[in-house]
Amino acid sequence: MKKLLYTGFTGMVVLALGCAKVLDLEPTDKLQASQIFSDPQGVKIYMANLYSQLPIEDFAYFRQGFNQNGGDPNNGGFSAAMQTDEAVHTEFGDFIGDNDFQWWDQGYKLNRDVNLLVDAIPLLDIRDEERAALIGESSFIKAYTYYALAKRYGGIPLIKNTQQYNGDAEALKVPRSTEQETWDYVLQLCDEAIANLGESNGRRASKWIALALKSRAALHAASVAKFGSRAPMSGDAVSAKLVTLDPSLANGYYQQCISAAEAIINSGKFSLFRPNPANAAEAAENYRMIFQDPNGAMSTEAMFLKGYTLPGNNLGHNYDIWYQPAQVANGWPHPGRMNPSLDLADVYERYDNPGQDAPIATTVDGNVNDYNGYSQSKNYIRYDHPYDIFNGKDARLWGTTILPGTNWKQTPIIIQAGYVKPNGEAVIRIKDQVTIDGKTYYTYGAESTSQYSGFDTYGGNNTRTGFSFRKFMNQSNPIVPGWNQSTNDFIEFRYAEVLLNYAEAVVESGSGNTTLAEQVLNSIRHRAAHSTEVSLTSENVQRERRVELAFENKRFWDLIRRREFHTAFNNRFMHAILPLQDLRALPETKYIFVRVNVPNSNPKTFEPKSYYRYIPGIGTNGLVQNPQY
Amino acid sequence: MNKIIIGIAALCLTLASCEKDNYDGPDSGLTGRFIDAESGQLVEQDIIRGTQIEIIEHGYDPVTPQYLIVKTDGTYENSMLFSNTYTVKPVRGNFINVEAQEVQITGRTTLDFTVTPYIRITNASITRSGDKVRATFNIEQNVINNVKKIGLYAHQDARVGEPMRQVAAEQQLNAVADPAHQYSLEIDVPSNSSVLKSGRAYYFRIGALIDVGEAKLNYAPAVKVDL
Repeated sequence: MKKLLYTGFTGMVVLALGCAKVLDLEPTDKLQASQIFSDPQGVKIYMANLYSQLPIEDFAYFRQGFNQNGGDPNNGGFSAAMQTDEAVHTEFGDFIGDNDFQWWDQGYKLNRDVNLLVDAIPLLDIRDEERAALIGESSFIKAYTYYALAKRYGGIPLIKNTQQYNGDAEALKVPRSTEQETWDYVLQLCDEAIANLGESNGRRASKWIALALKSRAALHAASVAKFGSRAPMSGDAVSAKLVTLDPSLANGYYQQCISAAEAIINSGKFSLFRPNPANAAEAAENYRMIFQDPNGAMSTEAMFLKGYTLPGNNLGHNYDIWYQPAQVANGWPHPGRMNPSLDLADVYERYDNPGQDAPIATTVDGNVNDYNGYSQSKNYIRYDHPYDIFNGKDARLWGTTILPGTNWKQTPIIIQAGYVKPNGEAVIRIKDQVTIDGKTYYTYGAESTSQYSGFDTYGGNNTRTGFSFRKFMNQSNPIVPGWNQSTNDFIEFRYAEVLLNYAEAVVESGSGNTTLAEQVLNSIRHRAAHSTEVSLTSENVQRERRVELAFENKRFWDLIRRREFHTAFNNRFMHAILPLQDLRALPETKYIFVRVNVPNSNPKTFEPKSYYRYIPGIGTNGLVQNPQY
Repeated sequence: MNKIIIGIAALCLTLASCEKDNYDGPDSGLTGRFIDAESGQLVEQDIIRGTQIEIIEHGYDPVTPQYLIVKTDGTYENSMLFSNTYTVKPVRGNFINVEAQEVQITGRTTLDFTVTPYIRITNASITRSGDKVRATFNIEQNVINNVKKIGLYAHQDARVGEPMRQVAAEQQLNAVADPAHQYSLEIDVPSNSSVLKSGRAYYFRIGALIDVGEAKLNYAPAVKVDL
């Protein structure tokens, strides 16, 4: 009895003790939402975090996703450009995989983070214009988020307000909206941002940036509507209109692109950086300068920058170590990964033949479709320097790529694939040397691996296309051989892109101001030292876009939205140009060139299903999957 | 001594949880052919990016469809399926749409599809003369759409086709084909010398694509040619 009493009593004491709120502790290492949002300073910090999550396809954007410059940034330097016709990697032959460029969880996480802020805005003790700015900025970030989601997945669940969990997980599941509703929501958010944002907001979003985003998003939607029939799709997602847009919607979206871009153009706030070069060489250098340090173009062409401030994790990037040519590696073991393709180089116009692609002819007969390799029977054109074959090509080719024999950091970059011996036999892509009249010649143009940058497979450090990479590269400083050491900023919105958006929307829709469209198209060409104007045609606009925006991670989405990927990549080999020294010409120094398929490469084919990414986790989220996944 | 007893007890406990709880593996399969309703011949296919058979297993929701590929000769087989009822439908093919059907798959189930190919390639002949490989054929189309393109494809593998080729000679037609017209295509061997090496044998195959969304090419059987 006594024992029972004791037990009962002890039990009651223990239970009673459990009722004290000793366990309900506020964590001391975390801030509560109310604490952050009650303080405008806290809101600023929160905003900085939202900006860092923006889906900006910059120097840290790779197939694995955004911000690949923290933790382990070693992805081989396989950039998005290498999954288009702009470039190949020195080693990787991969093409677009199902898991590439996914942004589902992160997209909805950013959306939730913005929604939490939107909930707090009415409660903040701030001035009205500050409140409007915050509303505008949240709408901008949300628009950006849904734009990035829509171009990947088509129609998606629109989570317009913060979801509350009330113990019923099913209630949180939101079905997909149609692709049309999704794009309309993106544009509606852009309009909210435009209405609330001010003219200038330092490096943060302003009215103009929101307009630029709108022009980009509307152009994407318009193109999907107009060109969807180039790649018809079927399946549940198509029947429910969760993906694809009706062609009748195209002109409406083009119109929205036109009015957004026109507002920016008519504002007079922006202009092209150094629009009147004296000659092509100056134009090439001006063009390069925009990207080496965009801050120099901040008040003119660079509208919105993503900053890289400090070397180190998440604050610096790796473009310089991956992509500068091998000769300037400065001890870094893996340079030279970016190999711009001959296919891209062919697209740049010649000054003496404006308005036309200018494939680089290497033989007297001018056959540019022969990729069978060197043959003694072919009559090759001989040049004095390894870069002479590119003379007369658009300055932007010189500003975007390092051409064989051109200088980089006061060093002539040697890109040579081999030589033709005096007897006419060629030695190509084999390490070899030959001594003639006391002088030794090397296949790769120099003796040791540190003295050349082309074609030797050593370390995967040498270009296999004949081109190395110049755009975005820092010429001023030696490479720091370590991770995340580059700190030049990335231009996310550039005035030239807005002009090209405008020109494209006008020419594709047949509405808008064609005179203005033609004028802005030619102003970009004029900045690249072209003096002859071209007419406003779809072909001219697309060519201009490819060369002007090369490597800015636009090409991938251009091929997607215009439904050109599956025809551009149907069993396609990428191409290279082999510079060879022709020793038959001795004692003169002469070079010849051979057009070939990129050595050690396989043909690439785009699967039409890849026009949309697959939606992860349909087993739990219950969404309709995209076609063919 | 105690330690040993505890050890044995622990071992017994561990092993006691080792009851075999694996599911049985897939023990059924589906096999069959695509047969031309008119000629009774097999309908030639592509091994990659070709016609697929969508099968949806019943009893699960949501369920991810599975896709079976079809061999170049127009037969297919998947011998690793679970016994169950499935909804089966060939999709994105080179023949007029066929309806979905419910199929009880147990053991080695056979399911043939009788289809009308978009295009029939008849009187096909592939011959080599000197440096050229020349194909001649007629086109018979069973729908009113245009024929988008015709092609002659070469590969060292017998499963050659438009998506799997080293050399192609294609002609964009974008017109309704004339059944009486003899079409011809030619591949020049020396101008493809980096791929088509003389002294080796290659497979050549004639294909034609109808202008229907997501349609696949129709083919004549591949022919081996010594170069």
